[in-house]
Amino acid sequence: MAAMPTSDRENTIFVIDDDAIIRLSCEQILKKSGYKVETFANGHEGIERLKEVRPPLLIVDIKMPELDGFEVIKIVRRIDPDVVIVVITGYATIETAVDAMKMGAYDFLPKPFTTNELRMIIERGFERWRLAKEAHFLRQQKEEVERKFVTLVSHQLKGPLVAVKQYLDVLLYTRNAELSGETLEWISRSQARIDEMLALIQDWLLLAKLDRGALCDRDASADIGKIAEAVIQEYRQLPSAATVTLTAEAAPGLPQARGDEVCLNMLVRNLVSNAVKYNKPGGTVKVGADSDDQWIILEVSDTGIGIPEDFRPHLFEEFYRSKTPETQNIPGTGLGLVICKKIVDELGGTIDVESKEGEYTIFAVRLPAAEPPKGVDYFDAVGE
Amino acid sequence: MKTMSESKAVLIIDDDSDFVRAIQTLLESSGYKVRSASNGREGIQLAKNIQPDLVLLDVMMSERTEGFFVLQEMRRIPALSRTPVIVVSSIYSEEPVFRVDPKAGWLPANLFLAKPVEPARLLAEAMRLTGASAAEADKPADGKKQP
Repeated sequence: MAAMPTSDRENTIFVIDDDAIIRLSCEQILKKSGYKVETFANGHEGIERLKEVRPPLLIVDIKMPELDGFEVIKIVRRIDPDVVIVVITGYATIETAVDAMKMGAYDFLPKPFTTNELRMIIERGFERWRLAKEAHFLRQQKEEVERKFVTLVSHQLKGPLVAVKQYLDVLLYTRNAELSGETLEWISRSQARIDEMLALIQDWLLLAKLDRGALCDRDASADIGKIAEAVIQEYRQLPSAATVTLTAEAAPGLPQARGDEVCLNMLVRNLVSNAVKYNKPGGTVKVGADSDDQWIILEVSDTGIGIPEDFRPHLFEEFYRSKTPETQNIPGTGLGLVICKKIVDELGGTIDVESKEGEYTIFAVRLPAAEPPKGVDYFDAVGE
Repeated sequence: MKTMSESKAVLIIDDDSDFVRAIQTLLESSGYKVRSASNGREGIQLAKNIQPDLVLLDVMMSERTEGFFVLQEMRRIPALSRTPVIVVSSIYSEEPVFRVDPKAGWLPANLFLAKPVEPARLLAEAMRLTGASAAEADKPADGKKQP
């Protein structure tokens, strides 16, 4: 059958009922109200046609031979999550109706029903469909605007900074011998300030992505022990971490954590970066990974300056940085822990801090263990 | 100091004239001949004419992903299909989607570098990509394994 024009489609109601009298009466009543009605004597026929037409509203009887109403709802929901479903239930028990609503039906109509009852429910159903459609459209538009805004603004903010930094980098590289001590120092100070700004834009971009839920992949899994090891290796090479001892230790046979590598790497990196920055010369940074039932536990501890108690409640707030004489010269965007918190929230975990001023800080992250990959035959594993 | 790179030509395709000037100065100080184009179409035309030994390619020019199209187009032109290309961009801080796939018959891009580019790194990579034979072209200069 040919597809129908949108205006007709948006005015169409499907009725699936094995009872010919119900089909006929629904059709007559609803046609009088100006709807386009198609009726089907069984679920299979209705579902096949629904794939082509995608009507906004479906009325379906619960008790039918072959495919019952519950089965129909289940299949239809997979085909079209937006169609509004109203169930007709003959034995007007609340339980049946509740079960159907749990499976995604919007409302129910106990038999026998009056013309007005049918009309009212259908009107409500259409109202619901229109609102959902509008909300969906607005959400899409908002996301598109946000996505474009973030990319464009970050590109435009970065452009000038990159150009300035590139001039300075090349100047320093090609004219190093000709420049005086003070000039060299000013150039490297300028470079450091630009790097600060670039890092800020980068973090802000990450936060925007996190807010859209576009950064972390909840369906992926990664080995947090390996990630910790890689981050620690990297920090050992950095001049800024030269005065601290860095170690990583993962429990053997640690299960995979939920989340993708990029996202978890960012989490570990931000925590390690803080542990290094707020440390004392000769201090240590330890990253430990372990598991507890269904959780992967990541601990990043340092022997640094600690976090004053009144700062702790604000740690995960945007742009909040402690301003003590000890910390005022430590570079940072003030977004690192906000990013950590958002990543952890996104993955369904928790992050907590324990600290003693002047002695240590421990960040403890709990992440859900990854779901076992789909399609694995568990009997194989058990049978070993 | 004049090196073997003396006769090598580098084409920079980038719409930021300041970035181009800085990089051009750097490359010229190491003896490269440098030409530049400020958009994709001009860049491909110039590449066809001068047959550069190396192309530095920006991603986001007047179009959001103009660099990717330039790269695709270059690889379709037989004379440019194996020209080493370094993609430079400030949009990505990590190696982005068009990672080097050594299994592909030709390389989409040989390398990705984030802007601002570290001068020593760029010169080392330029030396490697213009000096080495095609067979060796997928080993980065710093000896690190390519992801």
